[in-house]
Amino acid sequence: VAEGSLLSDELLRHLMAVGQVDILVGVPTLNNASTIGGVVSAVHQAFGTFFPRDRTVLINSDGGSVDGTQEVIRGRSHDESDTVTVSHALRTTHLISTPYHGVPGKGSALRQIMTAADLSQAKAVAVLDADVASATPEWVASLIQPVRNQQFDYVAPIYSRHPLDSPLITQLVRPLFRAASGWQVREPLAADFGCSNRFLAYCLEQNVWDDELARYGIDLWLTATALYGGFRCCQTMVGPRVAAAAPGRPGFQEVFQQVVGSVFLLLDEQASSWLTRGGSEQIPIAGAAPDGKGEGQAPAVSRLGSAFRDDVRNLASVLQAILGADTLRQLNAIAEADVEELHYPDALWVRTVYEFLGAFHRGVMRREHVTQALIPLYLGRTGSFLIEHASGNQAEIEGALEALCVEFERGKPSLVEHWNQPT
Amino acid sequence: VNGDANGSSDPDLLWYRDAVIYQLHVKTFADSNSDGIGDFKGLTGRLDYLRDLGVDCLWLMPMYPSPFRDDGYDIADYYSIHPSYGTLDDFQELLDAAHARRLRVVTELVLNHTSDQHAWFTQARSARDDPRRDWYVWSDTDDRYSGVRIIFLDTERSNWAWDPQSKAYYWHRFFYHQPDLNYDNPAVREEMWKVMSFWLGLGVDGFRVDAVPYLIEREGTSCENLPETHAVIRWLRSQLDAHFPGRMLLAEANQPPEFVRPYFGEGDEFHMAFHFPLMTRMFMAVRLEDRKPLVDVVERTPEIPATCQWGIFLRNHDELTLEMVTDIEREFMYEEYARDPVSRLNLGIRRRLAPLLDADRRRIELMNGIVMSMPGSPIIYYGDEIGMGDNIYLGDRNGVRTPMQWTGGWNAGFSAADPERLAQPLISNPLFGYQAVNVESQRRADHSLLNWMRRLVSVRKSSHVFSRGSTTFLKPANHRVLAYLRTLGKEQVLVVCNLSSSAQAVELDLRSLAGALPIEMFGKSLFPRIGEPYILTLGPYDFFWFKLRRV
Repeated sequence: VAEGSLLSDELLRHLMAVGQVDILVGVPTLNNASTIGGVVSAVHQAFGTFFPRDRTVLINSDGGSVDGTQEVIRGRSHDESDTVTVSHALRTTHLISTPYHGVPGKGSALRQIMTAADLSQAKAVAVLDADVASATPEWVASLIQPVRNQQFDYVAPIYSRHPLDSPLITQLVRPLFRAASGWQVREPLAADFGCSNRFLAYCLEQNVWDDELARYGIDLWLTATALYGGFRCCQTMVGPRVAAAAPGRPGFQEVFQQVVGSVFLLLDEQASSWLTRGGSEQIPIAGAAPDGKGEGQAPAVSRLGSAFRDDVRNLASVLQAILGADTLRQLNAIAEADVEELHYPDALWVRTVYEFLGAFHRGVMRREHVTQALIPLYLGRTGSFLIEHASGNQAEIEGALEALCVEFERGKPSLVEHWNQPT
Repeated sequence: VNGDANGSSDPDLLWYRDAVIYQLHVKTFADSNSDGIGDFKGLTGRLDYLRDLGVDCLWLMPMYPSPFRDDGYDIADYYSIHPSYGTLDDFQELLDAAHARRLRVVTELVLNHTSDQHAWFTQARSARDDPRRDWYVWSDTDDRYSGVRIIFLDTERSNWAWDPQSKAYYWHRFFYHQPDLNYDNPAVREEMWKVMSFWLGLGVDGFRVDAVPYLIEREGTSCENLPETHAVIRWLRSQLDAHFPGRMLLAEANQPPEFVRPYFGEGDEFHMAFHFPLMTRMFMAVRLEDRKPLVDVVERTPEIPATCQWGIFLRNHDELTLEMVTDIEREFMYEEYARDPVSRLNLGIRRRLAPLLDADRRRIELMNGIVMSMPGSPIIYYGDEIGMGDNIYLGDRNGVRTPMQWTGGWNAGFSAADPERLAQPLISNPLFGYQAVNVESQRRADHSLLNWMRRLVSVRKSSHVFSRGSTTFLKPANHRVLAYLRTLGKEQVLVVCNLSSSAQAVELDLRSLAGALPIEMFGKSLFPRIGEPYILTLGPYDFFWFKLRRV
């Protein structure tokens, strides 16, 4: 797709007026009226406080919000006489709010933002999740500074999370991505990131933007592309991440399928990059080290455990097509236990995930059925982990999560084996 | 209305609102007697040059007897002329000649302090019970008014200085050899009015009043801008209005505009005050290539009484002050305009206009184009109309006070004395030296900076819209373009400036002016009728002044 069709005439006029910039912050939105105001304020304060001499622009790329998101943003638009915080900035701070065109989904929004950044020759770019209620100026700055001051090409965030928070990341995405890719990334599919002009120019040249991956898995693709592409990557501590509970958000099952489907799809498409890698490397941390404090809360155990027990029975035939006999037998055995005594060991969980990924790759059934069938097992594993670590302190739980990652790495040969099985 | 106590024929009491003022130092302008020091006779001989430049008013820097430890701002006698500059008769001759050319003359009045060589101070320090003792501010300790900022940070450590003769401390806000007068003493106020009356009686058209905010001290305050200071000024103004209507007081108060505003009072204090922050922010805007700092400061500038006016300028005899900017702004200005640390002085930059702008003719024109179209009465610092350079190695602020460069010949035409005798050394480097930059050569070239400045002043004076009109910023999306509308009654002028070093396109929202015909004021060229939107392209540092006509 030519750049011309990505950018409306109106956006082009805005970009001409903005001209060359030092820092561009992009915020894709879709019905984020409740949180976008805070995000825009955080960005403006970051511009005024941390980058007062830089040429800056905030671009909102909207997917067709109907809740007044763009009105909120335009309401926050300011001119030279506005707020005290912005007055610290020596230069005009621009704010552009524009709809994006093309395939619905975040990929199109990001592509528009990146194209705008490329045209305006932004030296550092940060993309922020509009859904976050906890964005601060420091958060924004920590994503930009490693690019602006230390010449990193890609900056992944480290959120200050309680280790029992976001189990989909800690139990599945993080350890799987680490074992497969060979890189230790805390948040492989974070919607917030920073990047250089060099990196975004490279991304824009790739044939991903109209693919299925662009719709839900673009964040993961960017992380993987930065790592596999030899770009200078780092992680940075941004603080706690509190997402808004906005109406109309997809439910857990949908989110699970989008996330896990994207991870599996990415690994499937980029298998040649990771199949032969062993072990894992750390990604440097720019700025302050993680403080070890975390926020967030764990899901309720009883609901997880009961869903697991019921669905292992109900999905027996599906699981039989995906899992090996030994794995399935062990699963059935633990599903018989009382919810309070549920114990889903690391090694079994690793085998489960790898066998699902192998089945996804080999196409033993429709891919969305594969990812859907993983849901009860994931719930069981999460419930088991929560039961075992309910009374653990933060360091102990972090230790257990690290052990899980190591287990994933240790089991990688079996993944390769599953991968290479004839379809 | 008697606006004519000085004998000039202009009946307009508010003349200063439309004036273009030219600031000069007699010492370095023109030397008539070949002693190496400029004088009144020399200046009188150059009045035609100033008339031809188009200015309306001369502001003369201190001309009083002085030990010259602060270039004359340390006055030792308020009632006479420094002998190096001539005599009172010479000064009277200058006044008459200037008025004959419709040029007004404003002189310096240093109210706040005297030289420590002044007879008043000599007497005051002679004995603790001397009648003049209370004309200055004394203390047995140096801890009164603690916390009051020190202005000349590079040279002074305290606002108190020890007087070994009377064994007490005296208060000084500037150099230690400039003791502050005590305006709590009515006798001091009376004496200063006497001083003013003396010069006004000779025909002086007004005073540039130095260091205004510091007249009164009070414990527990910053000793700046105090109500009692305003009371002193109101009293002096009432005397002025009663005895010499049509004369003008111009305040030097290096403060943010909201703090300067009280010095206009209700039109009963100063007629004019300098707008220091506007000056700083014009430089900032051009280097940032962003109108924000300039628009910010103008929009933050309060309304002033209809009889008052701002004094606006690009450069003057002092350093480019950075006192009233944030640390970030100061750091930026130093990095962009004063990379050589020698050019930094106190909290400022001791440079002239042309060197600050790297002798870039386009930027010099742009900056002058902005200042001449902003609300206020513009002030040209001598030599800047030809792009004179400076010498930052001369110490203090002497580097921007070098002799006027009239010709490429002997001593730049300033003096017939031996070069070694000159009051200040000439600028002689290849870029700014008098051989390259001088009045004579620029007179001969139609497109010289001097001739361009003449046209600029002439166009500025062609309409009162610049001096008296309202100002509305247009704020197009392109922040590199500064655009504003000056309006006075039915008259409107659109000013569009490209602050950037690259060509720019700008889309102006001129809906309210749809149908008007823009006529570019310098070349009288007709531009396309205003429609919606109105798109203009400007070359690097270009600016337009459009008179808007409805046909």
